[in-house]
Amino acid sequence: MSLFKLENIRKSFALGPVQVEVLKGVNLEVEAGELVSIMGTSGCGKSTLMNVIGFLDQPTSGRYLLEGRETSSLTDEELSTIRNKKIGFVFQQFNLLSRLTALENVCLPLIYRGLNEREQHRIAREMLAQVGMDERAGHKPTELSGGQQQRVAIARALAGSPSIILADEPTGALDTRVGQDIMNLFLELNSDKNITTILITHDPNIAAQCRRVVRMKDGKVAQSADQARGAP
Amino acid sequence: MMLKASLREAARSLAAAKQRSLLALLGIVIGIGSVIALVSMGTMAQRETLRQFMEMGTDVISIQEEQRREDRAGGAPPGFSLEDVLEMPARLASVRSVAPYASAFGELRKEGQRQSIPILGVTEGFLDMNKLALAEGRFISDLDVLMSHAVVGGNLAERLVKQGIIAGVGEDIYFDDRKLTVVGVLRPAAMGAMRPYECNEGLMLPISTVLRLSPQNTVRTVMARLEPGVTSSQAADEIRQYFSSLPRAGQVRITSPEQIIEHMERQSRMFTLLLGAIGSISLIVGGVGVMNVMLVSVSERKREIGIRRALGAQKKDIQWQFLIESVLLSLMGGFLGIVLGVGASFLIARYSQWQFEIIHGALVLGVGVSMAVGIFFGYYPARQAAALNPIQALRAE
Repeated sequence: MSLFKLENIRKSFALGPVQVEVLKGVNLEVEAGELVSIMGTSGCGKSTLMNVIGFLDQPTSGRYLLEGRETSSLTDEELSTIRNKKIGFVFQQFNLLSRLTALENVCLPLIYRGLNEREQHRIAREMLAQVGMDERAGHKPTELSGGQQQRVAIARALAGSPSIILADEPTGALDTRVGQDIMNLFLELNSDKNITTILITHDPNIAAQCRRVVRMKDGKVAQSADQARGAP
Repeated sequence: MMLKASLREAARSLAAAKQRSLLALLGIVIGIGSVIALVSMGTMAQRETLRQFMEMGTDVISIQEEQRREDRAGGAPPGFSLEDVLEMPARLASVRSVAPYASAFGELRKEGQRQSIPILGVTEGFLDMNKLALAEGRFISDLDVLMSHAVVGGNLAERLVKQGIIAGVGEDIYFDDRKLTVVGVLRPAAMGAMRPYECNEGLMLPISTVLRLSPQNTVRTVMARLEPGVTSSQAADEIRQYFSSLPRAGQVRITSPEQIIEHMERQSRMFTLLLGAIGSISLIVGGVGVMNVMLVSVSERKREIGIRRALGAQKKDIQWQFLIESVLLSLMGGFLGIVLGVGASFLIARYSQWQFEIIHGALVLGVGVSMAVGIFFGYYPARQAAALNPIQALRAE
C-alpha cells in the first residue's frame, strides 16, 4: 500500500467572479521511504499541491488517501491533528518563531500534542542533535545563520516523527554551498531513517539528487520519473 | 500542562511589546484604581462611623435647637438655657444623662505662630457621653467653673507637640488674649456624625468659661444618653414635649444613631451607583484599549499563527493563546490599578485621619473585573486569530 495517493485532485479558487482552476486533475502516488522532488515553473500549481498534500488546504474534488484512508471529509480539527502527527513542514523562509529559542521552536509541534515539558525537551534535544544543532539549543533564530536556522526548522519538522516531510524550496533562501549541506541532511535522513521526503524546488541540481522527480505543468503532473541518484 | 506554557508564551509576547502593552493598560489601571480607591474610601468612612457608635453606643441622641425665622435675621440663635438642659435627666424618664456643649473659634498663639482652632465648652459628663479616653492628665471637671483650664483633642495634641507648641499637661498656652492651662490630653477617637469633631481637633474648656468668653457663644447642641430600653423615637417625643413646655418654648431637631446610619446607607447606595457608572465607563474605555492592542497583535503575528496552525495547532489552541494573552494583559492592569487604588486610599485615609484598611472585597472586585474585561474584550480578537486561513496566514509578512 502506498503512503499516500492523490486521485484526480482538482482545486479551484474564486478570483473575484472568475473561478480559476489551479490543480486540474493531479494523480500522484508516493511510497513510504521515497525521496521525491516536485519541479515546475512558478504558477504551475506546485505550492497549491503542497498545501493539499500537507492538509493546509482541501481539494475541490478528487480523492486523497493517506495511509489508505480517505481524507476528503475531515473537519478542521481532524486536519490539524493530521498536520500535527503526519506532516513535518520545512519552509523556504525557515519560519521559526523569533521570540523562542531553537529548543522551544522544536518543541512547538509537541506542545499541540499535549506532551509534558520534560518529554518535549527530551525529544527536541534528540532532534537538534540529529541535525547537528544540539549546541545551539538555547539560541534565538536571530543568533543563527540561515543554514543553522533551516537545520532547526528540519529538527522541528522531525520532532513529531511525521510520515511525510514536506519541504517547500528549503534551499531557496540559502547560498549554494549551505543549500547543499541542507540537501545532504535530507538525503541522510531519507537513507538512514527512511523518512519520506517531498521537496519542492526550482533548482535542477537539487532535483537531480532525488531518486524520483515529478514535473508539473499547468496544474497537472507532466512527468514522473525515477532516476539514478546523482552524486552530490 | 499546557496552561503554564501558554501563560509563559503570553507573558513573553506582551513583554516583547512593552510600550504598547503599558499604554493599553492605562485605561484599565485608572478604571480599577479609581473604583478601588472610591470603594475603599466609602467603606473606611462607613467603618469609621460604625466604630464611633461601637465606642459610644447607639443609645445617644443629639438635640439641636431649630432655628426660628425671626432669629435668623437677628444673627445667632439664643441657644438653650444651661439650667433647662441640666435638669433633663431629673425631669425626663427617658434621659439618663446629658452633655450640652457650646462651640466657638479662637486663635492660638505661641512665639509668633498663630493658628485658628475650634474650642468647645463642655461639662464633666462630656467625656463619658462620648466615651473618650484620656492620654494624660484629667478631663474638665464641673468644679472648674469659669477656670482657664483646657483639655486638648487627640489629633490637635499630636500636631501641637510636633510643632513644639505644647509638650504636655501643666503647660500654659495663649488663646485669644487668655492664658489657658492644659490639664489633660485626649486620645484620638473615631469620628462619625455624632461626636463633635472638636474632640479630636480642638480644645475643650469648661462650658461656663466659653459662655463667658463672648455673648455669641451659646449652647446649641445637647447630647443625651437614654435610659436602657427606651427607643430613640420615644425619647424624642418626650424631649420635644419638654422643650415646648418651657417658658421660652422652642422647637428642637433630634438626630438619632438610626437616622445617621440610615443616612449613611442611603449615601453609600448613591455612591455605589455613581461608582458603578464611572467604573464601567473607564473599564469600557480600558477594554477597548486592550481589544485594540490584541487586534494589532493578531495582525502582526499572522505568520506566527500560520506556522502554529501548520504545526498542528487547533483553532481553539490559537484562540486560547490570544485569550490568555488578553486576560494576562488586563490582569496586569488590574494589579497596577489595585496598587494605585490602595495607594490612593492610604493617602486619603491618612489625610482624613481614618484608620487605614485594605478592603479585601475591593481587591477581589479589581481582579475579577479586570479578568472579565480581558475575556470580554479579548474574545473577538482571539476569534479572529483562530479563524485565519492557515495558508494566507503563512504568506503574511
